[in-house]
Amino acid sequence: MNAEFFLRLAQGPLNLTWQGLVMLGVAGLLFYLAIVRGYEPLLLLPIAAGAMLANLPLSPMLGDEGLLTVLYRAGIENELFPLLIFIGVGALTDFGPLLENPRVVLLGAAGQFGIFATLLLALGLGFTPNEAASIGIIGAIDGPTSIYVSSLLAPHLLGPITVAAYSYMALVPLIMPPVIRLLTSRRERAIRMPYSQRSISKRTRIIFPIVTTIVVGTLVPFSIPLVGSLMLGNLMRESGVVARLTGAASNELTNVVTLFLGLAIGSTMVGADFLRLTTLMILVLGMLAFAIDTAAGLLFGKLLSLLSRRGINPIIGAAGISAFPMAARVVQRVAAEEDFENFLLFHAMGANAAGQIASVVAGGVLLALMGGG
Amino acid sequence: MTDLWFGIQITIYGMGLVFALLALLWGLLALMVWLDGRRRAPAAAPEGVTAALEEVTAAPGVRLRGAGVEELAPEALAAIAVAVLAHASQEQPRGWQTAPAQPEGSAAVSRWVAAGRIRQTMGAVQRRRG
Repeated sequence: MNAEFFLRLAQGPLNLTWQGLVMLGVAGLLFYLAIVRGYEPLLLLPIAAGAMLANLPLSPMLGDEGLLTVLYRAGIENELFPLLIFIGVGALTDFGPLLENPRVVLLGAAGQFGIFATLLLALGLGFTPNEAASIGIIGAIDGPTSIYVSSLLAPHLLGPITVAAYSYMALVPLIMPPVIRLLTSRRERAIRMPYSQRSISKRTRIIFPIVTTIVVGTLVPFSIPLVGSLMLGNLMRESGVVARLTGAASNELTNVVTLFLGLAIGSTMVGADFLRLTTLMILVLGMLAFAIDTAAGLLFGKLLSLLSRRGINPIIGAAGISAFPMAARVVQRVAAEEDFENFLLFHAMGANAAGQIASVVAGGVLLALMGGG
Repeated sequence: MTDLWFGIQITIYGMGLVFALLALLWGLLALMVWLDGRRRAPAAAPEGVTAALEEVTAAPGVRLRGAGVEELAPEALAAIAVAVLAHASQEQPRGWQTAPAQPEGSAAVSRWVAAGRIRQTMGAVQRRRG
């Protein structure tokens, strides 16, 4: 029993670093947000667990054959996990409100302005173009798209970008209402929108994902993985002939992949790489991206409201983002604060569904412009 | 500065492309919805109904028998004939359904099945007691 023996036994505590300890604190914070505050627990809890396991001293889980490394290689390096999640998202999304009121598609386009505004801000702060584009994609307010794009353009920033995207998505109910109140008057928020009696046939619902995939995929090939996965899930749902596959995609597949994705993302949050000024900047820029998206959607909603002679309530523009259906619910809540009998939910859901498609399109456009992929 | 100019270009092209693509999608969606409405519209038109009535009344193979059939108005007879033909033209599933279709969803049990199970359970309990 010599000193070397005792050193070997105590190598865990001896290899503790201050960065590791801070990251354990960050993991604790994420656990708190997920468990106590209920913010996106399905993803934040596995991310926190991944971060904790990756930051324990000499963690074998980060070794060549470690679980976290295997998961990262299996699903993040090759973009498999976000695409599998997209199949589940498609299976869970009802595009009916969008089909009943197709003009709200444009609100989804306006809601992507945060991507490019944040990209500009990031470039101004000294990030490289690829890093800036990856940070900007937080403005898509779509976790899988953020992961997909940043894993292609700036994989070293994947951890903070994912944490920012998912944390702020959970904060949509807190971020959106002040921006809406700031940019709209009481009178605008109280505008009522009539409901159309249009019903959409099953045939149209089935054709929609196929046509969207072909058109968007042909025009922006970079978006094929994203739009193809999303629409595959939706086609399964609307066709009604593969109920078991739809159920599996929206439940088992999504649940399993969410666990693996969260752990793999958490494993990228190793203290030495994560605790940098750039991480803090990414978190701030991500918050700005969310606010800019909401503002741009609102301003475009105001324009449409003006053009339609107040036929459109501008605040549904704020729902033109991908956080589905949370953004639509927030818009309904804000509208109800002004006029309890104002039911905007269905219109907001249309804009929200448009935001879902628009974020995928914007992700593909960004990749095409940056020459990534 | 070069990077910033590059960013401005990306922003202009990016937002332009996103808007253009979604405007195209809007057009396509509007076209799909319009075609959908147009396809379904003739069925609701009054002329269509009249034509269908005439065809069905003259349709062979549909005979209505029973007391009071003669007293029914021609429109009612035509409606019954349409219903009979529509039912007859429906393709039967491979096996005759003995219960309403199970609702979608993994854990859902149809009310039909649930009611049947309860009846069986109650019957077994009563037999044991009796």
